[in-house]
Amino acid sequence: MNRKIIKYRENKFKDSKNNTAVDVKSVSKIFRIYHEKIPSLKNTILKRKRTTYEQFLALDDVSFMVNHGQTFGIIGPNGSGKSTLLKLLAKIYQPTHGEIMVNGTLSALLELGAGFHPDLTGRENVYINAAILGMKKRDVDKKMNEVIEFSELERFIDTPVKNYSSGMYMRLGFSVAINVNPDILLVDEVLAVGDQAFQAKCYKVIYDFMKSGKTIIIVSHDLDTISDLCSKVVFLKDGKIIDIGKPLNIVAKYRAYVEELEKKRIIEQQKAGRKKIFKTVIENNRRVVKGEEISRLSNLSTDEEVIRRFGSGDAEIKSAKLLDEKNKQIDFCKYGDTIKIVCEILFKEKVEDPIFGIMINDPKKNIIYGTNSRLNNMKTGWFKKGDLAKVIYKQKVNLIGGEYYITLAVGYSDNKTYCDWVNNIATVNVINKNMAEGIADLDSKISFEKINQKE
Amino acid sequence: MIKNFRTLFSYRELIVSLTKKELKVKYRGSVLGFFWSLLNPILTMLVYSFVFSIVMRGGIKEFAIFLMCALLPFNFLSNSVNYGASSIIANSNLVNKIYFPREIIPLSIIFANLINYFFELAALFIVLAVMGYKFYLFLYILPVIIFVQFFLVAGITLLVSALNVFFRDLQHLITIIMMVWFFGTPIIYPLSMVPEKFHFVMKINPMTIYTAYYRNIFYYVKYPEGAGFPGLPETLTALGITLLAFFVGYFVFKKLEYRFAEEI
Repeated sequence: MNRKIIKYRENKFKDSKNNTAVDVKSVSKIFRIYHEKIPSLKNTILKRKRTTYEQFLALDDVSFMVNHGQTFGIIGPNGSGKSTLLKLLAKIYQPTHGEIMVNGTLSALLELGAGFHPDLTGRENVYINAAILGMKKRDVDKKMNEVIEFSELERFIDTPVKNYSSGMYMRLGFSVAINVNPDILLVDEVLAVGDQAFQAKCYKVIYDFMKSGKTIIIVSHDLDTISDLCSKVVFLKDGKIIDIGKPLNIVAKYRAYVEELEKKRIIEQQKAGRKKIFKTVIENNRRVVKGEEISRLSNLSTDEEVIRRFGSGDAEIKSAKLLDEKNKQIDFCKYGDTIKIVCEILFKEKVEDPIFGIMINDPKKNIIYGTNSRLNNMKTGWFKKGDLAKVIYKQKVNLIGGEYYITLAVGYSDNKTYCDWVNNIATVNVINKNMAEGIADLDSKISFEKINQKE
Repeated sequence: MIKNFRTLFSYRELIVSLTKKELKVKYRGSVLGFFWSLLNPILTMLVYSFVFSIVMRGGIKEFAIFLMCALLPFNFLSNSVNYGASSIIANSNLVNKIYFPREIIPLSIIFANLINYFFELAALFIVLAVMGYKFYLFLYILPVIIFVQFFLVAGITLLVSALNVFFRDLQHLITIIMMVWFFGTPIIYPLSMVPEKFHFVMKINPMTIYTAYYRNIFYYVKYPEGAGFPGLPETLTALGITLLAFFVGYFVFKKLEYRFAEEI
């Protein structure tokens, strides 16, 4: 007897006694990765050997259950097997091992407007797309107006879709898809459609869908959406389930993982990135950096913090400290205080007459004050390899209360190129009882007198 | 298998929809629309008529009609196979993103070609009526022949469309095979011109039998001296080979189907 192993069972007519919508039992998926790009008959016959391939385990013994009415989220880093899992659920792939049971009609939104033909009009494509998604023609006829209205494409519905913008294309695709109305909906990251208003509309549809007791399985990188929508979440990594359970716990766990990863990445990148930037600036030194390039490099936002530092590396700012007048380390000061910013600079190459500079920014990146040794008519002389310099900037803080950022730099004597430039190396909080507005305290003295009007 | 057919039946609207799409895409952008599709057989007919009744003088009466009643059914086969071969790869965006029985893709191509064939037949009827052929006498056999031929077309198209996913160079081979098949079938010549010793080989080819039936229905009603062929054994052999082709094509397709999405 040739017993066929049933790997995918589906029950089109929802069994109401059975509360399970999807049951995944120890499913694994192995892909073959071929060494040849395109398989060909010629090679198979002439070379008399099977084309060589490697096996890749995309999903490794994954099991979970989704109940009817649940919204189930799948999260995980790229390449963790999320999309493979969705494709297995959608019956596009067949599991290598294990079994998938689906109870109810299932529709997959893996790509919006899949199968749209560019030469056909929007309306014609709606019919085809709806049929592909399993809709009956008379249902499409009934819902046509709804679809068109939802897509906001009334004027263009009889235009070939090749003339559509990508946003219009996606909107039409989404409008068709949400009108299919299955028991179970698979969604793969398709909610990022159109402008803000349209996205809000899409979310509303998904919410309505949830409220009507339908089951949704959603893959997304948007963790807020996931914790908002889902009642159960699975965290996949390298094809394995790391954890499964309440969205808050799982999302927190995933966030921790991502942060950890990010930290490592930033450290790696900082190493690599700094080398790279040093290198480019060294090259720039030869051709003289243009003014705007300097402002681009020096005006980095905090999310580009990885490259908040640049320069050739001939000298390196080792440390920066904030001290008060009694040389005690501080991180805040009062208005009118005099503070000292002390930094140590290690020279790694011979540098002639370097320029030491400071810049103070507010949180909006406005430059409040900047000066350097050249502007103060100082000659700094020669520094050779291994020299350590200590630079003290004594500063009177005439600022309105708030947080300020200090940027330090060591420049070459040409005043155009830099050995080292560190954005926001230190932060100082200024406390000011004077509740004035703005940035700088210009020490206003206000007086008035009453002048009697003369006849 | 019966379950598969039932599933397929539940997807009938998709088949209709995709068939319409095939036809629309084919005729979109030309005012003359489907008349272009008649142009190809008409030009073929003119060329062959010139060669065989004027240059080589085969002695066949009204060669154009003789040719057309065999050429049109063969075009149905060869167009389906040629277009069907690349159909899965051409629709990779669908195969990769949405599930439906994959045979719908080649089937919709076959149906589109079938409808095209019907139009060509309608045009042929007009010509036959004008030329005084009593083609309506045996017309009741026509649906049966088309029905049977459909399974041959479907089997071969399914087979090549599935194999073409795994061997992309198959497409080129198919073009050549279809050309050999064309000349190996009595289309531009009658079977009686072929030496007796080759008849056995010729008759294994189901298209020989089917074109003979088409010719009996359309052409030999006017010239009954050529009629008579094919007999029952030949017909049954053709039927058997047709069913074999269909089941082999279908099973190979179903066997490979689930790997399509991974391969393309």
